[in-house]
Amino acid sequence: MTYTLDAGRLVVLAQIADHLIPAAHGMPSAGAVVDAGRLAFVLGARPDLREPLAAALRPELGEDPAARLAALAKDEEGNLSALQLVIVGGYYTDKGVRELIGYNGQEAIEVKSWLLPQYLEEGLIDKVLERGPVWRDPATGKRAVVANAPRTYAERFAATTPDAQPNSQGGPDGRDSA
Amino acid sequence: MAVEPADVLIIGAGASGAVVAKRLAEAGFKVVCLEQGEWLNKDDYPGTRTDWELRARKEWATSPNVRGLPADYPIDDSDSPVAPLMYNAVGGSTIIFAGAWPRALPSDFRVRSLDGVADDWPISYFDLQPYFYRTDRDFGVSGLPGDPAYPPDTEDAPMPPLPIGSAGLKVARAHTKLGWHWWPEFNSINSTPYDGRRPCVQRSTCQSGCNEGAKASTDATHWPKAIALGARLVTGARVSRIETNGAGLATGATWIDREGAEHFEPARVVVLAANAIGTPRLLLLSASSRFPDGLANSSGMVGKRLMMHPFANVAGLFEEPLMSWQGQFGDLIESLEFYETDEKRGFVRGARWGMAPTGGPINAALPSRAGEQAWGPDHHLHFRTHFGHGANWGLFGEDLPDETNTVVLSKTVKDSSGIAAPEIHYHMSDNTRRMLDFHIERAKESLIEAGAFKIEVDRLMRYSGWHLLGTARMGDDPATSVLDKWNRTHDVPNLYVADGSCFVTSSGVNPTSTIVAIALRAADHMVETRFEQQVPA
Repeated sequence: MTYTLDAGRLVVLAQIADHLIPAAHGMPSAGAVVDAGRLAFVLGARPDLREPLAAALRPELGEDPAARLAALAKDEEGNLSALQLVIVGGYYTDKGVRELIGYNGQEAIEVKSWLLPQYLEEGLIDKVLERGPVWRDPATGKRAVVANAPRTYAERFAATTPDAQPNSQGGPDGRDSA
Repeated sequence: MAVEPADVLIIGAGASGAVVAKRLAEAGFKVVCLEQGEWLNKDDYPGTRTDWELRARKEWATSPNVRGLPADYPIDDSDSPVAPLMYNAVGGSTIIFAGAWPRALPSDFRVRSLDGVADDWPISYFDLQPYFYRTDRDFGVSGLPGDPAYPPDTEDAPMPPLPIGSAGLKVARAHTKLGWHWWPEFNSINSTPYDGRRPCVQRSTCQSGCNEGAKASTDATHWPKAIALGARLVTGARVSRIETNGAGLATGATWIDREGAEHFEPARVVVLAANAIGTPRLLLLSASSRFPDGLANSSGMVGKRLMMHPFANVAGLFEEPLMSWQGQFGDLIESLEFYETDEKRGFVRGARWGMAPTGGPINAALPSRAGEQAWGPDHHLHFRTHFGHGANWGLFGEDLPDETNTVVLSKTVKDSSGIAAPEIHYHMSDNTRRMLDFHIERAKESLIEAGAFKIEVDRLMRYSGWHLLGTARMGDDPATSVLDKWNRTHDVPNLYVADGSCFVTSSGVNPTSTIVAIALRAADHMVETRFEQQVPA
């Protein structure tokens, strides 16, 4: 059976949701988004939130959302966190909200290992290698000195066995430049 | 009917236990492993689900106290600003670790000689170097060879590096201008198909289990091979004590199944691989008339010198979108610019910086690890500023050993099997605080140079105790150490500890690569000395 709140608590939840995330800047209010369906979704994933949520929405805390939140912040941090997570979780897992923020969930993006990374093209690695070894030699306590250390990536690359040659990649977002 | 003893009984099926099991099984040992967790199915991991961020905060939380799953045991961490993190399943904490794979540096093994504090290790970086190559191959590591922060290698990482992302590139350019070290991170995450596992798809949910199987976790990389070679892995098996005989040798372990029934698993050799909280807990639980202060504890060092790498986070917010909710959660890039000691800074040792993705929309909307709480009409502006616009430097400070940082047995808290829970007592030293403060300021400079318009700092994250180290240190002197340089306890010649408990100092880097190299070295030694190994009659 799908868990839900009693009618009184559902009204209070909507009020608090609107107070925390009102309609603004082209975005809908959380009260308009976090309906019974969204609530069931969140509590289905997180049944442990049911009890602290119900406590945070109890009638004894009054009708003023700001006063309720202040009371929870003062004495019931766990209940407040549960209330905030239910509202934020219901809001940002909503399909319409996700479209508005341009988020399709955590996507599977191919790692393009055949592309040369921008950082190699730009010579950023060469600049690191140019400075020479930076590890501290335990024998001397000083910065290590390595004879014939490569000072460019081309030199290092040439010294690499063919099977182990790095063959680059793109950025995680399919781009390799900012 | 008496059970034939295992040649080697391993307690814990995580990173180090799996490495030892596979190596010994390859050498023909009869291996049994007891694991209190179960096998997991990567199809059940939440990373592909809409409710991923909700589940990641409870059943997939990194703290066992938050998860409270049947396989977990509680840890009393009320006397610590840092909460220890771990996972209990086949694969152990590799199921939820990020996959960042830096090695400890050469100076890390000579802290006393170089900096006059803590202790030197009985082994060196160069002793471990050949093992790093082997474990890199076994786990599957992606990385760009040639990092000048390390000694030259004779073998490169088996796969090319993973992407560094838009945020990593932006900061790499800044470090080029500053003349500071940076390097694409080494990760035990496939960048290409490797060893029968798929490549990373940049979903960034590594800490909730890898749905692709691209991140190395030993349930995929080691256990199937070890089992195929004959190793027996018993799940749902919570060990309550290691048993010993009149000669002071380990004879096996008593364990409790999910229904509460007690069993005994006999063995000729016992290897503890239960992490730096679980291992000292078991040694202390195994006290007897012969070992009144706990097993292998004649030095009094079991459970002492707990190190957890206090962690600070410095986030830069950028005007342009960086899509920083995607990318391997093992790091994008790292910097070791300020890793080595410079006494002018007012502290010794240093910290590694790692740059990781910034999380999904719920993380951005809630008061985040470096964010500000913003409710009301400005909530949407707060969200747009944070979501996908961040670059985070995570700073791991080297945590010097301190004998007052301890794991002891709780007198009041028990696990679901009725066994005394561990209780930790931990504080951060003045040296570490000064170190983190210094690094926070430098990390701010890095991000400002990269173009950040705003910086947010979390000076010490509570849920950051990923790296559990030091509670059964190795050393040459039995009076001051628990293990010898081959991970064998000084007191019990057929008892070994293969996990991060053996660390003498903590280094300032993610330790898994070093832990497993040490474990493989210990296993090799067990193979080489098998005919000299003292075992119970």
